[in-house]
Amino acid sequence: MKKIYLLSVMIFSFVAAVNSQSVTNNDYKTLSDNINSITPKNTSFMVRGYSHFGLNINDEQTSFSYGQFSPIFLWKQGSRFIFETELEFEFEDNQLNIGLEYANASYIVSKALVFRAGAFLLPFGTFIERYHPAWINRLSSKPLGFGHDGIGPSSDLGVAVRGAFQVGKSKLAYDLYVVNGPQLKTGLVEPEEAGMLDFSLNTSDNNKNKAVGGRLGFFPLSSSALEVGVSGYFAKPGSETSPFAGDSILGSLNYQDVSVSMYSIDLSFVKNLGSVGLIDIKGQYNYSSLSDANYYNPEEDNIYTFKNKSSAYYAQISYKPISVNNSIIKNLELVGRYSAYNTPEDALWNSKLRQYSIGLNYWLTWRSVIKLSFDNLKNNVSEASGERNEEEEHGPLLGNAFYIHWAIGF
Amino acid sequence: MKNYLNILIVSLFFAVMAFGISSCVSEKQLTEAKSGAQLWAENCVRCHNTPSPTSYSDPQWDVVGLHMRVRANLTDNETKKIIEFLKSANN
Ligand code: HEC
Repeated sequence: MKKIYLLSVMIFSFVAAVNSQSVTNNDYKTLSDNINSITPKNTSFMVRGYSHFGLNINDEQTSFSYGQFSPIFLWKQGSRFIFETELEFEFEDNQLNIGLEYANASYIVSKALVFRAGAFLLPFGTFIERYHPAWINRLSSKPLGFGHDGIGPSSDLGVAVRGAFQVGKSKLAYDLYVVNGPQLKTGLVEPEEAGMLDFSLNTSDNNKNKAVGGRLGFFPLSSSALEVGVSGYFAKPGSETSPFAGDSILGSLNYQDVSVSMYSIDLSFVKNLGSVGLIDIKGQYNYSSLSDANYYNPEEDNIYTFKNKSSAYYAQISYKPISVNNSIIKNLELVGRYSAYNTPEDALWNSKLRQYSIGLNYWLTWRSVIKLSFDNLKNNVSEASGERNEEEEHGPLLGNAFYIHWAIGF
Repeated sequence: MKNYLNILIVSLFFAVMAFGISSCVSEKQLTEAKSGAQLWAENCVRCHNTPSPTSYSDPQWDVVGLHMRVRANLTDNETKKIIEFLKSANN
């Protein structure tokens, strides 16, 4: 009796086990079918970004600075559509600023035509679009006139087309865009900035016309090692009505016909010279010319004008001994850069800044770098020498600065 | 207004020319001869250090590839070959 009881328990457990096994298999199949049906085949989402921080020592102070975190969200749909956006969280002047660096959608129309819409970094030259992120820029500072308050645009809202194709042994890359464009600082808010351009993102333009620009990049060598680019950018930055409208005297100051033409030439040469190492040469020259206009100086209570032409340039060379057989030395990099920024002579924001920078970097990974660098900044306009450079409130201090800086891309 | 019209016409001219040239001169002649590995070594380093294939998974390389094609203005052929190479070399 006992045996029969035991046997039936065994048979029961066996059947139950087999049964449960098949249930598990079935469950597994339905589960994996379910997962397969909801796993996106065409959609991919990726979060990347970068951060940087460090110590900044200059003639006036020593501070831990550069608290910045920039997340980048990429969303790809199918093989032709991508959305990219970058936010910028920056702790500056003791407060958290959140900025939108860019947010745009791109669609591959054909082999040599990409259509873009939204807010994007403008290819006016190459520094802003390609080399400004802290993990790409070889030095801690940006070249003079190439920051967010520089002489050229950074990101703007509009539409663009771009593409690249082979022409024989060489390669050609083109860019064309239509965007809201800059706004002229008339001096109404900050009189000492009259005649400057404000390139910050604007969702509503101050007038009816749009800014247009483009760039042509030429790669003469089949290795793509050398690229020479020319860019142009044209806009009317004034508002339709006088900012001083209503004032019997100043009301006649009008900026609707003011126009700006800007040009840029850029160069890049990057070559692995075998046993010598990796050489990287970069440079860009920006020129901006605004048509004449009259501005009001409240301090002297007069109306004045000036030739509104500015220029900025930099030349940079860096060297990495990548073929040395020592794991520390081959990750080192030496950098030197010279940059200059000239603003109009008779403007209230006149300056002739000159800066040279040298740096020694250590690359921890391909996107993470410790930079030690030194900047020396001079203003060649005599009365301003030794004083704080007033034209850019948050701009660099004249004199020497030393940085220890860690940039991480992730 | 006239100024903008001119610019628009010039732009259109460029675009048409770009199409023309790209369809006449076959890209295949040259870059086809180059391997994905060579194009990877020559191109990514122009702006930043070259990432190794193991930095990302296949689906991630697809996203990065499309992102760089657009951001770095790479050609169609370069992008396809480089991404194919990176995906084949990342295990
Ligand atoms: C013309 C310049 C340029 C070239 C060439 C270039 N990149 Fe980039 N790359 C960038 C910039 C700029 C960023 C940073 C984007 C940002 O922060 O807005 C970037 C970011 C990246 C990232 C980080 C993730 C992302 O998508 O933002 C990866 C990975 C990457 N590049 C891989 C590559 C590979 C692989 C190549 C070679 C096919 C390449 N890049 C060629 C400019 C370039």
